[in-house]
Formats: sequence, structure tokens, C-alpha cells
Amino acid sequence: MPKTYDAIVVGSGMTGGWAAKELTEAGLETLVLEAGRPITTADYVEHVPPWQMHFRGLDDRKKRSADQPIQRECYACDEWSSKFFVNDHDNPYTTDPDKPFLFLRGRQVGGRSIMWGRQVYRWSDLDFEANLKDGIAIDWPIRYADIAPWYDHVERFIGISGEKLGLPQLPDGQFLKPMELNCGEQVMRDAIAKHWPGERVLTIGRCAILTEDHLGRAACHYCGYCERGCVTLSYFNSINATLPAARLTGKLTLRPFSVVHSLIYDKQRNRVSGVRVIDGETKHALEFRARVVFLCASTLESARVLLNSATPDFPGGLANSSGELGHNLMDHIMGGGANGKITAPNDKKPVGRRPNGIYVPRFRNLAGGPKSPFLRGYGYQGGAGREGWGRGADLPGFGAGWKRALRDPGDWGFSLYGFGECLSNHNNYVEIDNTKNDAWGIPVLKIHCAYGENELALMKDASIAAAEMLAAAGAREITPYIEVNPPGKAIHEMGTARMGRDPKTSVLNAHNQAHDIPNLFVTDGACMVSTANQNPSITYMALTARACDYAVGAMKRREI
Amino acid sequence: MQGTRRVLNAQQDATLAVLTDLILPATDTPGAKAADVNSFIDLLLAEWVEPEDRDRFLKGLADVDTRAHAAFGKDFIQGTPDQQTALLVALDDEAARWKASPEATRGREPFYRTLKWVTLFAFFTSEVGATQEEHYAIIPGRYVPCAPADTLAPTE
Repeated sequence: MPKTYDAIVVGSGMTGGWAAKELTEAGLETLVLEAGRPITTADYVEHVPPWQMHFRGLDDRKKRSADQPIQRECYACDEWSSKFFVNDHDNPYTTDPDKPFLFLRGRQVGGRSIMWGRQVYRWSDLDFEANLKDGIAIDWPIRYADIAPWYDHVERFIGISGEKLGLPQLPDGQFLKPMELNCGEQVMRDAIAKHWPGERVLTIGRCAILTEDHLGRAACHYCGYCERGCVTLSYFNSINATLPAARLTGKLTLRPFSVVHSLIYDKQRNRVSGVRVIDGETKHALEFRARVVFLCASTLESARVLLNSATPDFPGGLANSSGELGHNLMDHIMGGGANGKITAPNDKKPVGRRPNGIYVPRFRNLAGGPKSPFLRGYGYQGGAGREGWGRGADLPGFGAGWKRALRDPGDWGFSLYGFGECLSNHNNYVEIDNTKNDAWGIPVLKIHCAYGENELALMKDASIAAAEMLAAAGAREITPYIEVNPPGKAIHEMGTARMGRDPKTSVLNAHNQAHDIPNLFVTDGACMVSTANQNPSITYMALTARACDYAVGAMKRREI
Repeated sequence: MQGTRRVLNAQQDATLAVLTDLILPATDTPGAKAADVNSFIDLLLAEWVEPEDRDRFLKGLADVDTRAHAAFGKDFIQGTPDQQTALLVALDDEAARWKASPEATRGREPFYRTLKWVTLFAFFTSEVGATQEEHYAIIPGRYVPCAPADTLAPTE
């Protein structure tokens, strides 16, 4: 008789790590299945300088374009960190020819939490109520009050640095001391405050990087390259924080190289009884059993597992009586912004590499404010810096005097880069492409996704408003732009198994529990009903912790 | 180092060495030669660039000799430092004019601009250039948001 675990968690990344921690700390024997290889802090390379890299950071571009032509579109998939991204030939997917989608993935213990962007912004009721007020898609089944204590819970553990602002649209959290704005950013902050008092604010990014020692993890040492790892565990990821906490309980079994094929459905009991796994190394088929299953494999992979788990009772995918599974795929639109040169103290420069920038919270379509000709809004990330030696290519001259001139910092530049909300759209969806399998023989996704008019309008406005703010600060050489980025590039994909009150229009209930199958939970980005414009990971983590608490209670009550 | 190159022949290697050391000479800190920029450029030519870009770069080096013969009747490496510098001034001016012209948004950049960039990159990403000229600290230890502009490295 094979062992039956109390819980199986599929995925060991951002949300899988949290499910592992919460479930094991509640006393459940928990099996975490990770598709990729095990990594440890010995895989971290943030302190390897350019001169120790074969191409000094220019990357092995021939190998990258051969093996990772899609993954390389992510800024973090570079000569150091490309090992944290998948091989595109082993992990194919398909799209419509006219609708490109970038599926950017990390398969290893820790998943994409290893090289995530680390920005952390709470949502507010402006976000949770938006669909209801605008008549878009369906209403969220929860409000800010439901999730606020779980934001607190998650933030206290992971350690967030940030500045409290008291803004209704961007609630404050449990913050360690903020990182500091440099002189150029202070100039911009003051100009924005002067020109748009009470409307626009520039603050230091709120990020999951420690500015103080915290729960056995050390404060940041400003080496600057979190996406390459962190031997001092100063930024949050699964292997730095949640998985070690889960391991401490003695209740964790972590199995790498476990590619989940599908879930096993027990029709008599209407329960998921376990998962089918292909061993990543031997390619042998295996099965594991548990009382409850948490899918934390990512928005697209969790949808894929459920779609690949179709049964005669669920021909369109497991837990899909609503027909919404795989649908409503969203990703933040990004890339409307502006650059310019600002006037800031010439005798000052920042020293040290702060792995964080500035944030300008959403200021469009706020409660009680003016209405824009589009729905929702956007926020900016960016920052100020001084040009370095790279400007030498266009600095006339050469020789000793020219070399000496490059030693001094160059002009102050400023960048504002917009991230906008993406509206839910049933016609953006994924399905199984039965003509193609991945390297483990598992059918892949066909992704149908494109941005709509509202997203494009947001980025156009973000570009104009960024140029306005630079102008207000007296910037020169202002360059507004709108990048054309395919969906997926923000790596904030969401929505393929959305929460909701009505089982006819949603896959999950208010506790991330499948309406159709009570012992099945999905707590990654698949659960999201809308995207807001804030970086989503903290909300996934808070929802995961909340769902774990609910599941443990339901198990104790013998409901599942 | 000569004889160990994978792409550059002896003449090309010697020409490149003079050019890069004129661009980034030893001053109060080491220059291109001490940073062995030629080795890294040879590596890029061997493994990194497309064949047509490698050919353009090598043609650019040959063109420097063509110009040298026109200007002072010898190979570039056999000119006096003044002759070599004068030739480089002309190339630098041409590159600046190219950058200011409409060609800069569509055409291929002149060889000299490629040379200048790759010399900078190879120097500042070398251990010598990064640590002695730039005072690059692998672990700064702290972030000083408004340090004096002449700060060499983070200070505790």
C-alpha cells in the first residue's frame, strides 16, 4: 500500500514554498513535487564578477539563441542566470501565428522565486471591487479585509522594505526600513510632489529585500544582482526562507525531478486522490497519493495539469464544470514610459548597487477622482542614475584625458517605466495542443492571448504622463516611448482558474478551493480574477497562506 | 601573447594593441595593454560575433594600415606616436560626424566606433580595469545614495 501523504503541493516556487511552510507547520505530512532539479545556495553566482565569466556578461549568445530563444527575452536570462530558465526545446508550447506569447519559466527547486523582480505591492479595494463596478468579467469573491491579515502574515515572515504612504490605493504593510532614494530621485520626488500635490507620489520601491537582519537572514549588502541568487539570503525566495521553514517541521518531503502529468480523480468520492508524475530523469511514470492537493505550479502550468486531467465526468478538464478553466488569461501590459536627463547635484553620485528602484503608484481613475477615457490604471518603476564608462563610445576623443574624463560620473538620467492593468477577457485562453508533447511526453499548451484596446490606451497614457513628470522636473532630452511587448513578457500571467462566488462562472471559491472537487486547491496566479497594476506575487502568497489555513480547518472538521 | 591568437594574425594583433593602448593608455592606472584587451577581443572574434562582423572588423584593421601608408608611407605600427595619434584623431572625428549624421540611425557604424566600444568594454570588464580604474567592489556592503562624486568605493 503506497504511502498517503496528508498533502501534495505541486510546485516549489513562490506559492508552493508558502503552501509547504503553512501546511507542514500545521502538522500535515506534505510532499512537494518540483519538476526541475534541486538547487542550493551553492548554485548562486551573484558574486562572480564579469572577468570570471567567459563572455564577461555579453552572454553566449549563440548557445542562448539555440537553446533558449524564448527565455532570453527576459532581462534576467543572462550569462549568469540563464541556468535558472528552462530549455525551450524541452518545454515547447504553441500559439496562434499572429498572437505571440512569451512563456518564461524556471524549473528548479524555488521555481521563478529564484529570479523574480522582488517588488511587493498590496492590492486595495479599488482593485477587488473594480470588476463589479466596471461590469467586467466577474466580481472577486473577497475584499481587502479578507486578505489584509494574510498580507501581514506573509510580510512579517519574508521581510519587506518600504515607505509607508497612507495611500488608499496602495495600502501600507509590515515594513522594514525603506531603502534610500538617491539625489536624482529626490529631485524627481520633489518635482512631482510640487506639481501634482495629493495626486502623484514617488517613493522607493517596496521590495522583498532585507534592509535589516530578519529571522536569521542578513541585511542586503548591495551587490546588486539578486536574480543570480543571494548567499546571505537577503532577498526572499523559496529556498532562502519558506522551504527551510517547512523542512524544520520534519513534515516535508521535497521531490525534485517530478514532472506532474495530471491528477488522479476518484469519482466515487468526488476527490482528487493523488497525482501522476513522470520522473524528470528516468521518465518513469509514478503515482503519489494524498488527502489534499495544492496546485502551485504557476498560472499556465496549473491550468495545463488540470486540462491534461480530463475524465469522462470532466471532459473539458478536471474541475471545469464552469468552462472557465484555461480562460481569462491575463498579463500586465508594460513598456509605456519615458527617459530623460535631469538636473541633480553634479557633485553627488550613488555608491553601491541598490537592487531596487522607485515606484509611482497608480494615480488614474482613483475613487472620487477624475475619470480617464480608459479603465483602471498603471504604476511606474524606474529610477535615477549617472552615466558611467559606457558613455565613452560616444564621447569624442581618446587617450589619457579622455580616460580621466570617464572616471567622473556622467549626466543624471531618469527612467519611468509603466506597468498597466490587463482586463479579463474570456477569449484569451489556453488549451491542450494534442499535436505536441514536451520532453517528458506530456501534451503542451496552445496559448491564445492578445492585449486589447484598453491595455494599449493605458500604455499610451503612461508614456505621455511620464514625459510630463520629467518635464516638470526640468529634464532635457525627454524621450517618451511605447514598447510593443507580447503578453507573457511581464511574467505576471494570471487568471486561468479564477476564483468567484458562482460555480457556473468560476473554477475556485473564495478560499481557492475548486468548486467541483473539495480537496483540490489552486493558489498560484491562476486564481486571479483581475490583475490590478501592482506586481502580483505578494497577493499570490497571501492567498496561498489563507487557503492553507482554510484547508487545514476543513480537514480537521473532516469536510475533506 | 602573439601566436596564441585564434583569429588575429601577428600584424592584426600588433595593430590592435597599438590602437587600444592609444585609446586607453596607462596613466595613474593601467591601460588596455595591462588589461590584455586583445585577448578578449580575439575571443569575441573567434566565438561571439557573426562571420560578417568579424570580417568587417578585420577589414577595419587593414584599412588603418591603408590610411597609414597614405599618410606616412608605412604600416601603422611602424609610425611614430605622433603619426599614429594623428591618424586616430581623424578616425575619431569621422566617427563623431557619422554619429551626428542621419546614417547613424540606419547604417552600420564605422569600424572605429566598434573598436572604441569593444576597447572600453574589454578594459572595464577586466579585473585590472574594473578594480584599479573603476574601483568596482563585488560586495559594496552598503548603498550611499548621495556620496561625493569623486568617491572611489563604498566606505564604512
